[in-house]
Amino acid sequence: MANPTLEMIHGLLYSRGLHIGHPSGLARIVGAMTGGLMDVVPFGGAQIHDHAMTVARVPARLFYWKAELLLDTHMAVNHWYGFDSGNIVADNYNFEVEALGAKMIYSDNAMPTVDVSRPLITGPADLDRIGPLDTSRGRIPMVVELARLYGQKEPGLVSGGFFCSHWSLICQAMGYPKAVRALKRDKGFAIALFDWVNDQVLMPFMRAYARAGVKRTYGADAWAAFPNLTPELVEEWVIPYAKKLREQCKKELKLSAGAGAAAADYCEEDPSKFDKETMFKCFIVGAKTFPLKVVPSGMGRTQDWNMAWVREFAEQQGKGGKKIPIIASLNGRFMRDSTPDQIVAKIAEWIDILGRDGGLIFGIGNVPADTPSLNVHTAVKATHTLGKYPIAPDLSRVRIDPPTFQPFDEWLKGQPEADTIFKTREWKPGRTPVAA
Amino acid sequence: MADQYAEIARVIVEGDDTQAAKLVESAIAQGLPPLDILNKGVVAGINKAGELWAANKFFLPDVILAADAFKAAMSPLEPKIKATRGGQPTRKFVIGVVQGDMHDLGKSLVIAMLASVGFEVIDLGIDVPRDKFIEATRQHKPAILGLGAYMSTTMLEMKDIIAELKKQGLRDRLKVMVGGVPTSQEFADEVGADAWGKDAMVTMQKALGLVGGSHG
Repeated sequence: MANPTLEMIHGLLYSRGLHIGHPSGLARIVGAMTGGLMDVVPFGGAQIHDHAMTVARVPARLFYWKAELLLDTHMAVNHWYGFDSGNIVADNYNFEVEALGAKMIYSDNAMPTVDVSRPLITGPADLDRIGPLDTSRGRIPMVVELARLYGQKEPGLVSGGFFCSHWSLICQAMGYPKAVRALKRDKGFAIALFDWVNDQVLMPFMRAYARAGVKRTYGADAWAAFPNLTPELVEEWVIPYAKKLREQCKKELKLSAGAGAAAADYCEEDPSKFDKETMFKCFIVGAKTFPLKVVPSGMGRTQDWNMAWVREFAEQQGKGGKKIPIIASLNGRFMRDSTPDQIVAKIAEWIDILGRDGGLIFGIGNVPADTPSLNVHTAVKATHTLGKYPIAPDLSRVRIDPPTFQPFDEWLKGQPEADTIFKTREWKPGRTPVAA
Repeated sequence: MADQYAEIARVIVEGDDTQAAKLVESAIAQGLPPLDILNKGVVAGINKAGELWAANKFFLPDVILAADAFKAAMSPLEPKIKATRGGQPTRKFVIGVVQGDMHDLGKSLVIAMLASVGFEVIDLGIDVPRDKFIEATRQHKPAILGLGAYMSTTMLEMKDIIAELKKQGLRDRLKVMVGGVPTSQEFADEVGADAWGKDAMVTMQKALGLVGGSHG
């Protein structure tokens, strides 16, 4: 079945007990996101760009500049791992500021990064000087092309364009400390900054997407995660501007713009400071950026969370004794630094507490480049094995053998992405003028 | 007098930079001892902010503002303290992200916090080769060398840098701090660092501790 609409309907029906056929990855995600029981707990995927580039051994100076390569590499690595979602998450945070003229740091082995020591904005006068976003500059045409290709290759609700949401864009343009000062000390300047981002940067960007036929866009806002911003500040600033952009895009462009992803993500790093009340506040505010009512988690130190708290919250927010769906995100550093046995044990613990009654989706926050592929394969296998419904009464008795998988290059031969990736490896620095 | 110190501490905790500078200027004008203003007012304030951070009552935006107020308070105070110390030079902190590592957001926060408490910070940037750390140590003679890493693969470089400092006879003249996402106290001990900076606030507090809690 390759029709995403039918796959989604299949997921909805399957999750309500109509067990006909084998659910696709998309069907599993849709079924679980609506709180139902599928054949297994789905593994949704991850933000994976630097890692995908490393696995596929393609050069950074092409990977981040060529839409087809960026897309094909993501899709190939996603398929190699067996994720249930074809979701890709690009390097959301740098496209706009780069095109606006920010100083960037380019590297042979990592994504382009803004040079925060030389900020684009130092004061209110800079907003007029910089002017609106010119969507023909920098990598904006590439990322618009990426969204168009993504829609072609992965039709349905998953694909879309990427952008940096308001608060994170302000932080990228002026540095986090200065942005905080504006927010807390100079409300007029803070409003001017948010308005400028919305009207002069993001709306032109969204218009460029709309002109290319893109129907959906996703904006990330990790600088608005907790404790960078408190849930109260997210509520005051991030949510209203996400709503403003969404409404403007819907009205003017017939485009669905989801801004503010990862805002209020509970990212307390110190386990001794974990606090249930703050975590719940973050969940409530963070869920406002999702189209469905869910318990969100993303980049936090989830390996040390008390998952009984998460379950308690999901039950509190549910109705008629049914909890709301939970997105359980494995921390990227935990995935990199743990042994396969530790990963299996963590997944067993989470499924036991959160997943017996369905409505659970696994993922990984942000996979570091140097994460062992064995660990990611192990996580997917463990989720699908331990998460097979009905869940075994005692998960410690379920044996998880090490995953068997072909090396990436062998697997890639014959895949639709093979040509793009293999040819790219022939590139030598200096031959293609792609980056500084 | 005690009330004045408490008031200085209070406005620093609240992140009111304008008031912090005014109150310190007023205290100096009244002839209060600069070191008392520093320790009983300014340092007490930033320490209280640190306690609130540790107790989950302060969050990163509050810490940034408290650090700003600290900096504002230090501005009129610094020349007076230097004068009482006979023009002793500002303490230097050389910082950089080790070779192979391109991540510098955490470093930026650390620099902001260190600068706010009076360190002269020399930023070597990201992807810094071992030789450059050695050269900068020799050239700037810092009180502290700070090494940052974001990846478990690159953090191993820190051990080699510290070994090279020893080999070059530079290690005994300075303190070394390590920090960054994959590091830990155990790692800091293992590589022979003097302190581990768990986050920007802790790095600032420990740096002050390493140089004897003074700011001038």
